[in-house]
Amino acid sequence: MDLDTLLSFKWSVMAPEFIILGVATLLSVIDLFMKKEASRKPLAWLAGAGVLGALAAIFMQLDTEVTSILYDTYRLDSFSKAFKILLLLGTLLVLVLASNYKKEDIDENRGEFYYLLLSALLGAMMMASSADLITLFVGLELLSLASYIMAGLERRNKRSNESAFKYVVSGGIATAITLFGMSYVFGLTGETNLFLIAQNMQDPELLKHGFLLMFAFLITFAGLTFKIAAAPLHMWAPDVYEGAPVPVTAFLSVVSKTAGFVILLRFIIITFIAAPGIDSESLLLEVQPYVMILAATTMIIGNVTALRQRNIKRMFAYSSIAQAGYILVPFVSNSSLLFELIWFYLLAYLFMNIGAFTIIQVLTAQEKSNDISIFRGLFKRSPWLAVPMTFFLLSLAGIPITAGFVGKFGIFMGALGLEPAHYWLAAVMMATTLFSYVYYFNVIAVMFFRDGEGAKVSVPSGMAAVLAFCAVSTIILGVMPDLALDFFYGNFDINEFFMNIEAVDTHTHDH
Amino acid sequence: MLQMSWLIPLFPLLSFILLLLFRKSKSESTAWIGVLLTGISLVMSVGVFLAVWQGEGIKTEGTWFQIGERAITMGFEVNPLNALMLVIVSLVSFLVHLYSKGYMHGDERFPVFFAYLGLFSFAMLGLVVSPNLLQLYMFWELVGLGSFLLIGFYYFKPEAKAAAKKAFVMTRIGDVGLFIGMVLLFWQVGSFEYDEIFASVKNGDISSGMLTLTALCIFVGAVGKSGQLPLHTWLPDAMEGPTPVSALIHAATMVAAGVYLVAAMYPLFQASEAALTVVAVVGGLTAIFAASIGLMQKDIKRVLAYSTVSQLGYMMLALGASGYVAGIFHLTTHAFFKALLFLAAGSVIHAVHTQNIEEMGGLWKKLRITGPLFLIGALAISGVPLLSGFFSKDEILASTYADGKYGLFWLAVIAAFMTAFYMFRLFFLVFTGEARGNEKGVHESPSVMTFPMIVLGVLAVVAGYLNTTWFGTFLSDYLAQGPVELPHGDHHGPAWIPLVATLAAALGIGLAYLIYQKGTLSRDWITRSFPSLAEVIYNKWYIDEGYDQTVVKGTRGLSKLGVLFDRYVVDGLVTAVTNGVQGLSKIGSRLQNGQVQSYGTAAIFGIVILLLIVALTGGYFS
Repeated sequence: MDLDTLLSFKWSVMAPEFIILGVATLLSVIDLFMKKEASRKPLAWLAGAGVLGALAAIFMQLDTEVTSILYDTYRLDSFSKAFKILLLLGTLLVLVLASNYKKEDIDENRGEFYYLLLSALLGAMMMASSADLITLFVGLELLSLASYIMAGLERRNKRSNESAFKYVVSGGIATAITLFGMSYVFGLTGETNLFLIAQNMQDPELLKHGFLLMFAFLITFAGLTFKIAAAPLHMWAPDVYEGAPVPVTAFLSVVSKTAGFVILLRFIIITFIAAPGIDSESLLLEVQPYVMILAATTMIIGNVTALRQRNIKRMFAYSSIAQAGYILVPFVSNSSLLFELIWFYLLAYLFMNIGAFTIIQVLTAQEKSNDISIFRGLFKRSPWLAVPMTFFLLSLAGIPITAGFVGKFGIFMGALGLEPAHYWLAAVMMATTLFSYVYYFNVIAVMFFRDGEGAKVSVPSGMAAVLAFCAVSTIILGVMPDLALDFFYGNFDINEFFMNIEAVDTHTHDH
Repeated sequence: MLQMSWLIPLFPLLSFILLLLFRKSKSESTAWIGVLLTGISLVMSVGVFLAVWQGEGIKTEGTWFQIGERAITMGFEVNPLNALMLVIVSLVSFLVHLYSKGYMHGDERFPVFFAYLGLFSFAMLGLVVSPNLLQLYMFWELVGLGSFLLIGFYYFKPEAKAAAKKAFVMTRIGDVGLFIGMVLLFWQVGSFEYDEIFASVKNGDISSGMLTLTALCIFVGAVGKSGQLPLHTWLPDAMEGPTPVSALIHAATMVAAGVYLVAAMYPLFQASEAALTVVAVVGGLTAIFAASIGLMQKDIKRVLAYSTVSQLGYMMLALGASGYVAGIFHLTTHAFFKALLFLAAGSVIHAVHTQNIEEMGGLWKKLRITGPLFLIGALAISGVPLLSGFFSKDEILASTYADGKYGLFWLAVIAAFMTAFYMFRLFFLVFTGEARGNEKGVHESPSVMTFPMIVLGVLAVVAGYLNTTWFGTFLSDYLAQGPVELPHGDHHGPAWIPLVATLAAALGIGLAYLIYQKGTLSRDWITRSFPSLAEVIYNKWYIDEGYDQTVVKGTRGLSKLGVLFDRYVVDGLVTAVTNGVQGLSKIGSRLQNGQVQSYGTAAIFGIVILLLIVALTGGYFS
């Protein structure tokens, strides 16, 4: 690759990534030269400014056509823009949580925290834009490695160490499985570019290898369930969520999970959309029962095990597993609404989950405990915390006039809308949702129906702002979901996702 | 007037918000906010009702959100059915607000109680004016939330907390059915609108299997909300809430929402004979089953709760037997007399501070207003001629008979007998005889409590004249303007039906009199009143013993059977499900043993299982 080719790429496509990269580098340099005892709070502000800048850059890119650079490994399309907005928004809110995280053990490390967060975000954004197995994988690993360290940030806290260790080991297993599956895909098609893989999938020669393809699909799919914390690779979540610092838990449960869905959509939908199955024409149709088993298992495990949890962080880990199960449902039905359903649900999930973690962070810090009893009598003590928390819990449970209801409603409609309608899956979803009422409402009951002796809870202004923003968004998206959906339909054309404009000519040019 | 009808639910909402702001206030005049605002709703509802009576109607809608190419709409609608519901709901709500001003006197969370009442009224009125199923569903859930808060209002009582949770989760089971039915209908019709669903049904766009399936799913929702068999167990427990709440939510409005739902979706049910039969059978069985349990209860509110379940069963039976008008008619009259009975019961509890009827007695002289009002309610629900319950019950019996469901007809007659019996058992034990508990300082409730009861008492008498063969079938004519094609006009069956109904009521009342009144009267009184004493005493003794040997033992046995069925079969099922879930939960937690090796094993194992299934089902080995 000579300099001319290098310069001929439209680098502006990567503007948001460059901003994040630049700010992360800058932060690490500044951190190096800062006095050891100096507060690292300004770094948080800088990081926040960087994320805002990247968000602005994406908004300026909204009208850009589908563009593809670096020999078609990196693309800017509606899909990447839509999901990057979610990733950036989530990270921005997590940054506020991080900057207010008070714990003696963590002070000296706090500079790292911010640029690790940005590196993880960068990895996630790369995944959203990748059109090649290599870049997808690099993005995935960047996200993973940064997350491993973040989970262990509280060096002197055994739980945090344990959490990081388990995360690394489980992550290693997941990566191995994913790579194993991907190697099958590569072996069968001889390509790493997603669109070229898709083209080669139609090769009549492949019809003989229906079984191998099916294996490849299932293994890769299972490997990728790690990031979204779905069965069978979900078991790390409760331990890691419990031990990691709260902002990291929030990041893992929202941003990292969103990235997991991004890679699932990118990889699975593009490459396998026209793949042949064992007997029928479509592989995606044939694997439906298996994805359904995974989704149903995830919903059942998450919701049922959550019932027994007394530790609020563990309860939210299981709740987060359950939510991943709900979002897997559209993968089964594969309706034309797939993208907007997942996007909307993840948006709703972002607000309700980060909102809930904000309150969890405030309460666990003040009460020095993770037990559900820290919510006792919260309504009397601090109604301004109890009321938003109620909104978030109602939304997680999917009760009307919250964003969570609209999201779940859409997923449910999708599951029953296409022929064949997935009655069983819909029934499992409704039944497990019913279980979830029990543990979500338990927290509400503790807040309203119990008298607590704890003191009034004080909330730093940054956290209060996040809280207000999340609570208002949760309700507004529940009352006027059109605000988000119109934005989605107005700015994103999901057909771009499948549009492979340059693949053919760059390919010929390349060879 | 009609254009403004969307404002009706908003006044109670305003009341909710205002009262939440004043929730720390110690002044009990905050209650007037709620009373005033629901009063406005009531006036507007009556105005709307009068307009609809003259044949008007309105439906306004706009797009709520768009998903893919489907637009989901929101709006409001007024038709004969829901205009009637508007009046019932806002009237009872208004009266209960007023009553609570006296009843909740001295409660330290006084304004919060009224705030919750406002929230509930808002949700219930919103449910009624919804023009489509989705909107109905949203208010349906909100109503459940209001009920949850109000049942758990005395949260320092563990029973109240448990009852609140139970009610919420149990009704939610029904909601799952409603939700599935609603979404299935959407994909058949392409809309949640009642009109469009009915149009599709009429055009035969939906296969008959699908019609039955969706109708049954929706009925499951109604079963949960209206406490029908087997999802009824939450309703008696819900009596842990304050008594005005029981009157408003668990007698007149929310529990009737299930009946309303079936009525609102009636064209769908009409299209499926199987669905109608299920509705009728479930309703009929519930009616007799709950009535039999009501015979043995000792808690005044629990008797009324089982009675409510039973009466709701009657309404379902009517709807299932093509008695659309009869069902709604009974819903209306029941709302009045049952609210009256609950408020009167509240007045009694207010006076004696116990709910156990064994500890009451002889209150007739002390509660000079409550007593007669309770009697009116008891007479009405028992179906004594000339009172409202008589006409509506008669209509249900006639519809059932005309529909050819003779088995259910006789069940309903027996249930009517039981109803009369347990109501008058209640009446005699509470109001006549001598005081069995400590009744010092018992006094009548303040006028703010008696006034609402008087209003309901008047309605419990006159509401029956809405639809009679003697003066005119106003209600059927009125409802005929609605979207539902009335099945087979008026079916005033054979003339002996009212006679049978009256006889059943008379027998029930008579039996209760003989057992509970006679037993508590002194022998002297009888000797003085009846000169030919020997024969009379003998005869009484004979009847008494005879009844005791046959009917009483029989009904006791039946009632015991009902209680046993409830305890072992229904509760057993519930417990089995709960234990199953808890067991699973335990297994899940145990698997999570903290060993990262086992997590890895689980992952690999999971994948291997998936691949094995593929290999086996895909015929790889064959």
